[in-house]
Amino acid sequence: MTFTVTSVSKVYGATRALSSVTLELRPGEIVGLIGTNGAGKSTLIKILSGATAPSSGTLSLDGRPLAFGGPLDAQAAGVQTVHQNIDDGVVFGASVADNLTLDTLTGPGWFLTRARVRAAAAAVAPGLGLPLDAPVESLPASARQQIVIARALARRARLLILDEPTSTLSEVEAGVLAARVRKAAAAGVSVLYVSHRLSEIEALCDRVLVLRDGELVATFVAPLERSAIVTAMLGPASGTSTGGPASGTSTGGPASGTSTGGEADAPARREDPAREGRDVLVADGVRAVPGGHAFGFRVRAGEVLGVTGLVGAGKTELLEQLGGARRPVSGRLSLDGVPYRPKDPKDAIAAGVALAPEERAAQAIVPGWSVRAHVTLPWLRRHGRSGLLARRSEAAAARRVIELFGVRGPGHEAPIEALSGGNQQKVVVGRWLVGDLRLLVLDEPFRGVDVAARADIGRVIRDHARRTAVVVASSDPQELRGLADRVLVLHEGDLAGELPIADATPERLAALMSGTSSRPPAGRGGAE
Amino acid sequence: MTATASGTGTAASPGRGASRVAALAYRYGLLVVLAAMIVLFSLLRPAFATYPNALVVLQSVAVVGIVALGVTVSMTTGGFDLSAGATVGAVVMVTALTMVRFNLTGGTAVVAGLLTGLLVAGVNVLLTVVAKVPDLVATLGTLFLFQGLALIVTGGQSVAPGMTVDGRTAPGRFTEGFAWLGGGRIASVPVPVVVFALLAAVVYVLLNHTRWGRALYAIGGNAEAARLAGIRVARYRALAYAVSGVCAAVAGILLSARLGRGDVGAGDPYLLQSVAAALIGFAVLGANRPNALGTVVGALFIGVVINGLTMLNAPYYAQTFVQGALLVGALVTSYTLRRIR
Repeated sequence: MTFTVTSVSKVYGATRALSSVTLELRPGEIVGLIGTNGAGKSTLIKILSGATAPSSGTLSLDGRPLAFGGPLDAQAAGVQTVHQNIDDGVVFGASVADNLTLDTLTGPGWFLTRARVRAAAAAVAPGLGLPLDAPVESLPASARQQIVIARALARRARLLILDEPTSTLSEVEAGVLAARVRKAAAAGVSVLYVSHRLSEIEALCDRVLVLRDGELVATFVAPLERSAIVTAMLGPASGTSTGGPASGTSTGGPASGTSTGGEADAPARREDPAREGRDVLVADGVRAVPGGHAFGFRVRAGEVLGVTGLVGAGKTELLEQLGGARRPVSGRLSLDGVPYRPKDPKDAIAAGVALAPEERAAQAIVPGWSVRAHVTLPWLRRHGRSGLLARRSEAAAARRVIELFGVRGPGHEAPIEALSGGNQQKVVVGRWLVGDLRLLVLDEPFRGVDVAARADIGRVIRDHARRTAVVVASSDPQELRGLADRVLVLHEGDLAGELPIADATPERLAALMSGTSSRPPAGRGGAE
Repeated sequence: MTATASGTGTAASPGRGASRVAALAYRYGLLVVLAAMIVLFSLLRPAFATYPNALVVLQSVAVVGIVALGVTVSMTTGGFDLSAGATVGAVVMVTALTMVRFNLTGGTAVVAGLLTGLLVAGVNVLLTVVAKVPDLVATLGTLFLFQGLALIVTGGQSVAPGMTVDGRTAPGRFTEGFAWLGGGRIASVPVPVVVFALLAAVVYVLLNHTRWGRALYAIGGNAEAARLAGIRVARYRALAYAVSGVCAAVAGILLSARLGRGDVGAGDPYLLQSVAAALIGFAVLGANRPNALGTVVGALFIGVVINGLTMLNAPYYAQTFVQGALLVGALVTSYTLRRIR
């Protein structure tokens, strides 16, 4: 019952989401799958679960080729996928027994009696230990997840794919899940366990596959070493792929922050303002997430502060608090020495703080709108002439952004969808630069952005930092190299360390990001 | 105009003839059909294409059109004001009561009517923005509340001059000034038509040329993106309902003035017709979103079809079906043809 993936590639338009991935999943084995955002994890899951077809390559089960026309084919072949959002898999308002039997009661017989449902439910999940008559919504998330997993296993699972199964679970609940997964594996099911949480991967998996930029770059076999996994995830210091704007980072070895090739002058010039610059933002006693430890940091004028950490480390949560998009968890912020407590993004913008959010499509793009309308949306008041919007002044602002960033596309009146992802990103980041801000907060500005656009965006951000303080978050520290002056590293909601970019070697970053560095200044601890 | 921006990007796609035809039908189909109808009716009934009859058509769509303009604004943010028809009915009753029962001036009646519209809007805002009830069901609730309230304050009776209240004859009557709002003319054009034209212009400018309009559309397009761009979403959604309430109130005042009495249920037909006009408007010039121009065309479309069919002696009871067919055709234009393109 070995499930084999042979040179599978997937191409979306001009982007190669997966290139020639080959892997084997053996019965009874728990295999971890890890990678940064955009590494190709979800594409691989989609192909395995039949949601999308590979552009090339084959899937096979014990040598027999598999071709999935859709998710139902994959299920019939024994590939069962439990998606990240647990509640997509249960029917609210129905009992546990009803939920367990969703797949099985489409058999013969017209009438559902309670006894019949209960009997069927018991057959689906023997020894589940949940009250069968309880309504699903009264159960905790972990119990709902158990129902989903039990159903998946009952559909004659040969391969169980768990996509970020613990993202909404507490630590105790995650323990319950781990036990369940081990049990399934002991029964001969292959498990593909996709998670950002290294501790779980380490504790649970026999093998770990690391995806980066669509390629399977490394396989680790237990016993696993966390920082090695993170290093593989993030890639060599040479920044093969992108390395952010300063594409000429030194190759191999421990790259130091100052050796940023063609951009060597930029960080040097900023060193003075970074040291002597006044504090623009001072954060004291803040928490990225409720329940995390409080910490403080400051952003100085003329400085770019990088924030990094794995997915789920709390970067977005922290940045959204700065931008007024999220209620502060705790602590105090001050802006240019004045207490700063924005109650919504409008407040933040009025105070001179703007947030360019992480999810471009969901949080920044208004479908069908022109480039011009996107640029001026935050600044409509400025483009008013006796109450009416002045098209000409709007167009001028749009042209400034297009010029500043080198936005390539059919002009400012074209719908933003006509632009490539990178150019769309230039527009939604660039619109903040035409205003007068004190602090610009950018969450994953390089997400889904091609190399050329990365360089353009990085260049303008660095330029802009001479006038404004900038905070840039990225789960790929490579992107911060040559851009940031200092880096905050977050790990599971806590501040794991703060480094000047010169000290942010890949090894130290990997140690801090994976939580294997006990004390931030003391360097990294043993990963074993 | 952003609407044109979304249109131009797509018209350029060359290729199979079918998709070109679909693109043209999407953009101009409704206007072509409207023009064809006018030509057809004019040929069949010469009386159709006369200035007096044009005024008749306009007069008949003025009230619906004004309600529809309000509904359009409520739709821009992704909301939906189902209570507009009930607001018209409530305002008719309130204005009639103000003058007939309480013997107050026409001006007072107008103010009372507008306040009624704002009151309905306030309830809608409380339900949708504060209590977070989905727009469609919240305004359905308001619809019932204000329909019921209008019945309660009048005891289920129509309000007409000379009616008896508590055994005595009601003291007031519809003032002449108030009645002029419904039956008067400004240089041969009926007052309701003038008001409709003015409001249409105001709503057009509001939606297309002011920052408030831009913010309303931003919320309808992507509320989270609007919020992060510094737009206070709750306030703009409240504004949208306020505009809708005021439009319905103006329509109610004009209707009351034309009827010269407060009929229970006078506003009832206006909800469906105005929603239909606003939805038909989506299909005008490929806007595919609520827009003032489209709504005016939608209202005219309904008015022309009904007027023309009446002149052709089509039975009155076929009108609803014809309106339904119109609406369905427009919906297919704006939702289905857009995808085929």
